[in-house]
Amino acid sequence: MRSVLCYGDSNTHGQIPGKGPLERYGPDERWPGVLRAQLGAGWYVIEEGLSGRTTVHDDPIEGAHKNGRTYLRPCLQSHATLDLVIIMLGTNDLKIRFNKPPSEVAMGIGCLVYDIKELAPGPGGTTPEIMIVAPPPMQDDVKEWKSIFAGAPEKSRLLALEFEVLADSLELHFFDAGSVVSCSEADGFHIDAEAHRLLGTALARAVDAIGWSRST
Amino acid sequence: MGHPLPDMRFAPPNPLRIADRASGLNALSVRSYNERLVLSLLLQNEGMSRMEIGEKTGLSAQTASVIVRSLEQEGLVSQGEAQRGRVGPPTIPLSLNPEGAYAVGVGFSRRRIDVALIDFIGTVRFHKQLPAEELNLFQRGGDLLAAIRDAMGSLPAGARGRIAGIGLAVPDEIDAMAATCNGSGHSLKALQAEIEEQIKLPVFVQNDITAAAGGESMFGVAKPLNDYLFFYLGARLQSRLILNHQIYKGNSSTSFDHGLMRLENALNARKQPSEIIWSSSAEWPELGEAYSEWLGECSNRLKASISALIQFVEFKTVVLSSHAPQRIANSLCADINREFANIDALPARVTVSPKAVGAASLPFSSRFMIQ
Repeated sequence: MRSVLCYGDSNTHGQIPGKGPLERYGPDERWPGVLRAQLGAGWYVIEEGLSGRTTVHDDPIEGAHKNGRTYLRPCLQSHATLDLVIIMLGTNDLKIRFNKPPSEVAMGIGCLVYDIKELAPGPGGTTPEIMIVAPPPMQDDVKEWKSIFAGAPEKSRLLALEFEVLADSLELHFFDAGSVVSCSEADGFHIDAEAHRLLGTALARAVDAIGWSRST
Repeated sequence: MGHPLPDMRFAPPNPLRIADRASGLNALSVRSYNERLVLSLLLQNEGMSRMEIGEKTGLSAQTASVIVRSLEQEGLVSQGEAQRGRVGPPTIPLSLNPEGAYAVGVGFSRRRIDVALIDFIGTVRFHKQLPAEELNLFQRGGDLLAAIRDAMGSLPAGARGRIAGIGLAVPDEIDAMAATCNGSGHSLKALQAEIEEQIKLPVFVQNDITAAAGGESMFGVAKPLNDYLFFYLGARLQSRLILNHQIYKGNSSTSFDHGLMRLENALNARKQPSEIIWSSSAEWPELGEAYSEWLGECSNRLKASISALIQFVEFKTVVLSSHAPQRIANSLCADINREFANIDALPARVTVSPKAVGAASLPFSSRFMIQ
């Protein structure tokens, strides 16, 4: 059986658009659950989605535990052996408190990739396959998050290109979530149940497209 | 750990070529060896997964992923439907996109000039035959340019930017033929320059028979073959030996006088009409004794050549190519198969002007494939 780790933020956690962090889509509704159903019995799908997770920043307001980098190492080791790590992060880095351009968000993803390569939690201590997923661009209207995400919607539209450049450069699998889903109008940056279904289905196809040898 | 110094981990990523999201063919960029490797592999084997590409090329799945993504963005490679229900995990097969690139080929013969436009997997999308007055090939330069433009014009406007180039398949003696006959001083080089100037696409030139063999290796029954003996039945009967994908050309005098010219002479001697044998007709009318005698002689000549060569070189396959009706190649191949137990004789798959298709394969091999 192969293992895939889905490492992300509230959109991997399955937070319902316009609701609080405690309100979450069911296990079969959120995209890792859709992925699990689509990939079938040969795959073990591990969900690691945390609301507010950044790529590499301690969040001065929400807490240091939102730092995607410090949690990644124990997370990888907890779930090893991993055949594939899917990373969908970046939206929270666009909060005005971090003041980061899209290119630097991509560099944050790059740090996570280096950490995965260093830790080598793949079969036999190898580097697992790594897939970078660019989050879907935010809507222009992010409701009551307007001040927190000041300037973020515009930056969010540039993430896919920056992430793909990074994926090309580091030789990673890449998928642009914005090519199949949009963020919900309800809060402007979370995805609804239908989008989870579409994203999980598209990612299953992208995982298939890697092609996996017949062994294992 | 073991990072090379200096530590580049925190430098901005190198914006590689793919970051340029222009659609259409990357006209001027030099295609990397790995890209050519992947394209060549997909030409040979339709429907491979990225992991299989990695296994065959020695590239990692992630490197293959980056290359395939860039080739997909250029439209050269396309994904098929996921294949589920087999043993093991499903795979998404990758193939060359037939509409990813096109090329025009011109095949010169003594009696005909063929112009063809093929797609990326060798399907003939356009074909036109121009009459060539014997030994007077270059007088019709204007007609030829018009035919090349017709071929290009057969594509929808949006696809014309995907024409990779023009190939010319020419007999070795073409310059001498032109010089002695029309005395116009036109040469192959001048023709090549004129086409490049007028059409604004790169023009590639190769010997006609070698091009026909190359086309068959790229698109036809010879695709999976490392070694084979290739015959081209045109005005004359000519051959090439292919060893480990390299095409070897013998002494040019080994072009045998057992081709269609001999049949033409036999028909003329009997005052029978002979124009049909230079046409693109899929079937000839009953040609009587002249035809059956010629076919027997041709068959004997083929068998004699194979017997002679097999003593020196090991090959298991003979491929017979011709623009003549398919049943002639079928009949000759059957003769060879009866004579040689250890040799498999196959009629070529490329039947619409093999020389023009071979010529059209030249821009593809030059721009997209490993040599």
